[in-house]
Amino acid sequence: MDFDRDAVLTSFVAETQEGLDLMEQSLLAMESRSGGTELLDDVFRVAHTLKGNATSLELDDLKGFAHAVEDLLDVLREQNAEVSADVISLLLKAVDELRALVAATPAGSPTLTPEQQQLRKQIGTQVASRSQRVMAPNPRTETEQTASGAATVAAPAPSRTLRTDIDKLDRMLNLTGEIVIAQGRLRRMIDNVGGELGRDLLEMQGETERLFHDLQDEVMRVRLVPIGTMLRQNLRAVRDLANSHSKLARVEVVGGDVEVDTTILEHLKDAVLHMIRNAIDHGIEAPPVRKKKGKNPCGLINVSAAHVGGYVVVTLHDDGAGLNRAKILQKAKQLGFFQNADPTSDSELYQVLFRPGFSTAELVTELSGRGVGLDVVKRNVEALHGTVEIDSEEGRSTTVTIRLPLTLAIIDGFSVQAGSDTYVVPQQYVVECTELPSAQGRPGNSGVLNLRGTALPYIRLREVFGQSAATAGRENVVVVRVGDFQAGIAVDQLLGGMQAVIKPLGKVFRGVSGIAGSTILGDGKVGLIIDVPGLLQGMMQSGLQAKSASAVH
Amino acid sequence: MEAVKEVTPQPVSHGQYLTFYVAGEEYAVNILKVKEIIEFDTVTVVPNTAPWIRGVTNLRGNVVPVIDLAVKFGLPASQTSKFSCIVITEVSYNGDRLTMGVMADSVSQVLDFLENEIEATPPFGTRVRLEFLLGMGKMNKKFCLILDIDKVLSADEIVAVTDSVKTLPAETVSPRSKSGKRAAEPGA
Repeated sequence: MDFDRDAVLTSFVAETQEGLDLMEQSLLAMESRSGGTELLDDVFRVAHTLKGNATSLELDDLKGFAHAVEDLLDVLREQNAEVSADVISLLLKAVDELRALVAATPAGSPTLTPEQQQLRKQIGTQVASRSQRVMAPNPRTETEQTASGAATVAAPAPSRTLRTDIDKLDRMLNLTGEIVIAQGRLRRMIDNVGGELGRDLLEMQGETERLFHDLQDEVMRVRLVPIGTMLRQNLRAVRDLANSHSKLARVEVVGGDVEVDTTILEHLKDAVLHMIRNAIDHGIEAPPVRKKKGKNPCGLINVSAAHVGGYVVVTLHDDGAGLNRAKILQKAKQLGFFQNADPTSDSELYQVLFRPGFSTAELVTELSGRGVGLDVVKRNVEALHGTVEIDSEEGRSTTVTIRLPLTLAIIDGFSVQAGSDTYVVPQQYVVECTELPSAQGRPGNSGVLNLRGTALPYIRLREVFGQSAATAGRENVVVVRVGDFQAGIAVDQLLGGMQAVIKPLGKVFRGVSGIAGSTILGDGKVGLIIDVPGLLQGMMQSGLQAKSASAVH
Repeated sequence: MEAVKEVTPQPVSHGQYLTFYVAGEEYAVNILKVKEIIEFDTVTVVPNTAPWIRGVTNLRGNVVPVIDLAVKFGLPASQTSKFSCIVITEVSYNGDRLTMGVMADSVSQVLDFLENEIEATPPFGTRVRLEFLLGMGKMNKKFCLILDIDKVLSADEIVAVTDSVKTLPAETVSPRSKSGKRAAEPGA
């Protein structure tokens, strides 16, 4: 029984948290476009279900609290009156407390803290002041609730959905990846059979592969969730933050139906919330200032998502004060950046904002922020093989653009051979491939190549990765681009494009530079995926090191 | 459990051990740590890791690190032969369970050690650092070294070896290297 109860509790917590999210969103929606009885119904339904479930799970305090909330909602529904901002605030506070209570249920039936009791009393007072009828607990509703409570546990929402563990989906995806590899090997074997049998086999194999491809697509699609839910969750944060800074702001979400891999979404959540915080904290001005500038006193934060190529692009745009270019440049110079030349573009300058160490407390006040934890955002995004850029029009707006791949599990790669091993360069960085003229190929781990008149620095992968085997003769160069910087990676052989199922290298190799992960190649060997930015960065730094060392001597 | 029944009152079984050869020496690992033994197949070298990390291999679709104990114990790298295999072990690493392969020149046998057949490691004389050993198992005339496989793979040694690059302070990072995500991150 206890075991069962654990399982029931787990699904109760998950379901209820979702319900509370819905409740919160509905409340916020009620506030922005008043007079939606449907919204109030939604909110009421959540509270009612929660109370019912809490009853059947014998979570008495939770039940009581939910009951109070339900009472208030009931009265509001009956009166069919405009719900004031105060009541919404009260209800939102209640949502927070319910969340905390629900989260605590797996550890045992939670009891109300003094603050929660206080809040419950406040809700009670609201109910009493609004209700014309006597507020004695109504025995009829009580029994009805118990009965319906049991029913809701047994029969949840009528939608035909299934809640499942992400691990299971991961496992499915892994397996499909394995089959891709196995099929590659099988095809090669069949190629050697020849004759009529070989042709038949090949045809059959072709059909299996097509079917499998469809299956793989489906598996990938299962993992996709619309981004809107996550973006809308931030509405609440905006409301609270704006209130506490006595600013006015509203969020507009565009492209909420854009779908992304659930893992990506999880990682994206923090970054987006952070950027929104920044926007309110430092971007949007106080209403009087905005009025003076001729802007709408209520600031607008536009969050949009869109598919662009194999990427999902999330853009956060606010019509606040923008960045103070001069001050940022000054600070950057103080910190030792742009010593020799001024940055050529704004985007180049603003990249310093993402530097760790640029976000000091002193800066926050001096530049009115926009340095806070941006390095963390950047790191989060880059861990997902994405990029983040910031742009601004001083006094007018700030735009942050985050680009992320649609899925973490499979990347388009370009495979190359260096020494005895095969490496994969993520396609997103590859610009072109060219031959390394033997006249320009000086030995050593790096060199400079004349690429149509421009000097292109290149690194020799074989040397950098300590492959001992001698040069295969003619070398090729994969030209890669990171941001505005181009460089070459010299390899022994170009093997061509491939879909690489990413396999994490595991904790043991965390922090190994130049390698982003691994994949299983068609022949069953492990191929390493090159961390292009990391690799180039490493080369730049060792170059600088050599330079400063020679300067000392 | 069966072993307990077999023996007469006093000596208690200390458990079963898999023994294998590395560089001519016989080592033993508690069999509960061993998941399986696979033939030595291609191992892909991971650059910028400690030399005793031989690389990674494909274990039915999972990428598993393979270590070369010979190098770890200060000997030349193991040569591969048709007897070479990889002992797949499950070790604890920073509090997590981790699957790891150990290269062996050949696998020898499974032994049931009684408690009185295990000697404490002498303070010197063994080729292996004491912290890696749990004791020495008596096998007729010779001893095998019982490895504490959890300790062999120690956390900080893996990356610390080659990477001089990261020690550079942030100030010297070129402003042009805006692409650089691995710039020296204080406290990262």
